[in-house]
Amino acid sequence: AAAAMDADASRQVRVRFVTKLPPPLRAPPTAIAVPAELSRMGLSEIVNSLLLSAEPDHQAQPFDFIVDGELVRMPLHQFLLAKGISAERVLELEYIKAVAPRKQEPPLPHDDWVSAVDGSNPSFILTGCYDGLARIWKDAAECTQVLEGHSGAITSASFINKGVETDGSLHVVTGSKDRSLRLFKFDTSVTIGSSKRIGAYKILPGHTSSIQSIAVDPSRNMICSASWDTTIKLWAVEGSEEDSDTVSVKKRRMNSDASGPEESQLEGSASSTLLGHTQCVSSVAWPEQRTIYSASWDHSVRQWDAQTGRETWNMFCGKALNCLDCGGEGSSLIAAGGSDPVLRVWDPRKPGTTAPIFQFSSHSSWISACKWHPSSWFHLISSSFDGKVMLWDLRTAWPLASVDSHKDKVLCADWWKGDSVISGGADSKLCISSGVEIA
Amino acid sequence: WGAPMEKTRPRSPPAGRTPPTSPPTTRRGATAPGPRTTTTTRHRCRSRTVARALAPTPTPTAWRRRMMPRRKRATPPRTRLRRGTPSGTCRSSGTRTRSTSVTTSQRGRSRSGTGRAESTASSAAKITMMTGTRLKIWDDYNAEEVKITKEEAKIISRMMKGKTPHANVDPYPDYVDWFEYADKGHPLSNAPEPKRRFVPSKWEQKKVVKLVRAIRKGWIKFDKPKDEPNYYLLWGDDTDTADNKRQGLSYIPAPKPNLPGHEESYNPSVEYIPTQEEIDNYQLMYEEDRPKFIPRRFESLRSVPAYEKALREGFDRCLDLYLCPRTRKKRINIDPESLKPKLPSKKDLRPYPRTCYLEFKGHGGPVTSLSVEATGQWIASGSSDGTIRVWEVETGRCLKVFNVGADVHHISWNPSPERPILAAIVGRDLLLLNAEVGDEETQVRTKELLHVGEPTPEDDGDKKPAVRWVNNDKFDGITLIHHRAASTVEWHSKGDYFTTVVPTGESRAVLLHQLSKKHSHHPFRKLPGLPVAAVFHPTQKMFFVATKKFVQVYDLQKAEVVKKLESGLREISSISIHPGGDNVIVGSKDGKLCWFDTDLSTRPYKMLKNHSKDITSVTFHRRYPLFASSSEDCTAHVFHGMVYADLNQNPLIVPLEILRGHLSSDRRGVLDCKFHPRQPWLFTAGADSMIRLYCD
Repeated sequence: AAAAMDADASRQVRVRFVTKLPPPLRAPPTAIAVPAELSRMGLSEIVNSLLLSAEPDHQAQPFDFIVDGELVRMPLHQFLLAKGISAERVLELEYIKAVAPRKQEPPLPHDDWVSAVDGSNPSFILTGCYDGLARIWKDAAECTQVLEGHSGAITSASFINKGVETDGSLHVVTGSKDRSLRLFKFDTSVTIGSSKRIGAYKILPGHTSSIQSIAVDPSRNMICSASWDTTIKLWAVEGSEEDSDTVSVKKRRMNSDASGPEESQLEGSASSTLLGHTQCVSSVAWPEQRTIYSASWDHSVRQWDAQTGRETWNMFCGKALNCLDCGGEGSSLIAAGGSDPVLRVWDPRKPGTTAPIFQFSSHSSWISACKWHPSSWFHLISSSFDGKVMLWDLRTAWPLASVDSHKDKVLCADWWKGDSVISGGADSKLCISSGVEIA
Repeated sequence: WGAPMEKTRPRSPPAGRTPPTSPPTTRRGATAPGPRTTTTTRHRCRSRTVARALAPTPTPTAWRRRMMPRRKRATPPRTRLRRGTPSGTCRSSGTRTRSTSVTTSQRGRSRSGTGRAESTASSAAKITMMTGTRLKIWDDYNAEEVKITKEEAKIISRMMKGKTPHANVDPYPDYVDWFEYADKGHPLSNAPEPKRRFVPSKWEQKKVVKLVRAIRKGWIKFDKPKDEPNYYLLWGDDTDTADNKRQGLSYIPAPKPNLPGHEESYNPSVEYIPTQEEIDNYQLMYEEDRPKFIPRRFESLRSVPAYEKALREGFDRCLDLYLCPRTRKKRINIDPESLKPKLPSKKDLRPYPRTCYLEFKGHGGPVTSLSVEATGQWIASGSSDGTIRVWEVETGRCLKVFNVGADVHHISWNPSPERPILAAIVGRDLLLLNAEVGDEETQVRTKELLHVGEPTPEDDGDKKPAVRWVNNDKFDGITLIHHRAASTVEWHSKGDYFTTVVPTGESRAVLLHQLSKKHSHHPFRKLPGLPVAAVFHPTQKMFFVATKKFVQVYDLQKAEVVKKLESGLREISSISIHPGGDNVIVGSKDGKLCWFDTDLSTRPYKMLKNHSKDITSVTFHRRYPLFASSSEDCTAHVFHGMVYADLNQNPLIVPLEILRGHLSSDRRGVLDCKFHPRQPWLFTAGADSMIRLYCD
């Protein structure tokens, strides 16, 4: 009987549940003994029952548990064994709300592959499509504006004034495979029910090959664009209209050939060009006023000084890269994915090493896009050609959730309103997975 | 018996140790040589060095021989013998001396005559009687009473004690080797050696002849065979015995049975007998596990039955002997791993294409050929469904479809990035068309380039011209109408010249075209067989033409054959030139791949037999040390092919990966493979109407 009791006792772990959640979700901080073979489901049940005993009208919900900055993803005794944590002392389990999309919104249909998406505006979603049109979707329901003018597939699109409306209109920039960027302006107070066609008010030509990615600087005055012609060009959003008036007649004629009606178009030219990559620059990110990060098919990630145009740091990773985003702690980590199924996260502040600090390898094909959560340091999404969008937490190597709503390659993905994941793919749909609660 | 007596006589001179045997021999020693030699040897052993030192001085024996008569004369004839007193002389005259010496010892008796023995024995008895009072001896011979003097008694008593008669005799004199003549000047005998010592003995010879004859006739046998014991160790190990080392067949000893134990006795103890239950259990066991012998008890040896398996086992044994192989197979024990050439690890040779990540779907028939644009942004593919498609590499999207309406046999993208022109063999002719990628300026230039002006007037006297350049209005391109069906097209690296191969064209089989001048000619009149493919040298003005068996290397400036590479293959199907230009790989229709090092030899440097079916295409990577071959067996093989700048070092070829994934369709597999120009990626075109991209 004593041996049985010993065995029973060894299977029990004394834990204390702590949380940073608001009071109705705060469990009593007393230490209790729980069976060691519980995984997060069982722990979640225990926390729910504790909360229910404290408050009778508590709604049961899934929780995730953190021990020493690591999410518990296996039975508790295995976890303790793997991490070398003693089961003798009282284990502090911090619980957070489980991060997973709870609801799939109806997909937004497009005419062709959805290749670009921007969800930085809480009320509008901007998508770019292979048919050369960019679309504005209000409240994830209806297409209110169609931005036309590109003769090639749109590869990237971005709001310039993110969420901030100036005189009731929003500015949008799109980059396309027709080697030009276009700036659009649209009215936010458009009646629902009509999809208005809007032409660009400004064209930024200059790249000699297709544009792969664009990024807007934090002050929203500059745009940088990465292109297949191995260059990164910086453009001013405002000003330089004087230059645009002096566009040569030939160019103007060519432009009118390409797209008929717009006579009032302005043209801008690049304020500077960043040279250094030897192959297609596939992605750029502009997290701070001075620094630009770029990823390229020449297997390198480079950091540029936006003011001087100099390369300040580079790193070779051995794979052709398709996407890059900066975020995480102090938005200083770099996540990038490319021609293999592994999403890697680097810390450029670490001296002397180019080894990734995190590697997420649950995808089965190329990674087409990755985005950090706009506010959380730990969460990022990645989309892959295997048709999945995965939600990652830096504190665990397993994906938190995997969205399988696409039937074909996923080409782009972004966060929207901080609690939804939007993704567009080769099945011509924009899928929205909402209800991702990140505290 | 000398040693204890010596103790009783303290006044005896310190003559030293006196062994009892030596003194009596001294007198007779002078005449008898036998005992004398023994004493000399003994002395020599004791003190040879001393003897040598004193060699000129007379030895005691000699001294005694000389001195004794004188002393005899000197000593008075009769002296009273007083016991215990030492005397300096001894009587030694005539019979008296003889009688005394006789009475003293037994040894003396053996020397003397037999007639005297009785008297001496009785006189000895008398002496012993008289020693107590007066020393008188009755002499039987002379019938008188002899009074023994004191000296005589002393001598007698010394002799009875086994000592020398005289006390001053040195029993161990230094030895003088009288016969030593090494430095004496002449040998012992001066007589000359007799003749017979120098003549071979006749009788000896006769005896030897007799023996030789006997040996030859076998009457005398030297190695008489030892009598072998007719028993042997039944349970001993006979693997090493002599008769097992036979000539020829090497002996394989039969396995030894175990020694019989108690249970095999005819009447074992009861504990060895299994119970009926155990016997029943044996029946449930497997045949192999079942015990071979079950002990049984018999009353007597007589009641033991015959062995029931005797016949069966005899038959089995005969069968074993009959079926036994008469030769032993010699096995060479070599680790197969050691025979493999030492190759670098695949891990060190990364990157190379390994996994398929992208599929380009859209064609409706087997994709016969593909080509990658110079920057690697697009690929073009031609298919048997009559279309040419342009794909975006990045996403796998089909950008354009050209419905050319006939089978596309071969397609090649212009290697110059400024000229996005596709050359394709459509049907039997060549079609040049604008791929419509690139910026406006390029488009304008390309459109200008793809326009044939006034057709140049041909000589009417000539037969049908080899090629006519005709505008193709449908695709805004140019059609080059060949006199016979063309099979392949290859561009020069600059993008202005290109070549087409017309296999059945005889003297006009390999044609060179210039795009800018819209001009064609056929400089190679004579070829060693039907041409299969033709390619330009990547850097120099050289040209390679692959016929079915050979690869001809031409110098384009001098218009002459520089080299002729002999492949030894049945039929060449494809050729690719290393970007350095000195190495050529050739794929054949029997699945073999030949690597030629043109600097090394005109024979293949390496021949790889890796595919089970025809090789359809071979290709080198432009930047990475990689090459690949695709085959009808639905696989593509990727190799590491490192060419060193050092001419002494041969190229290193390492097989890396077999890329699978294509499905067989109409017994055709992978029809073409091309590397990405900048990434270590491989595109393969399959008969299953799919293009796959394999990445590292």
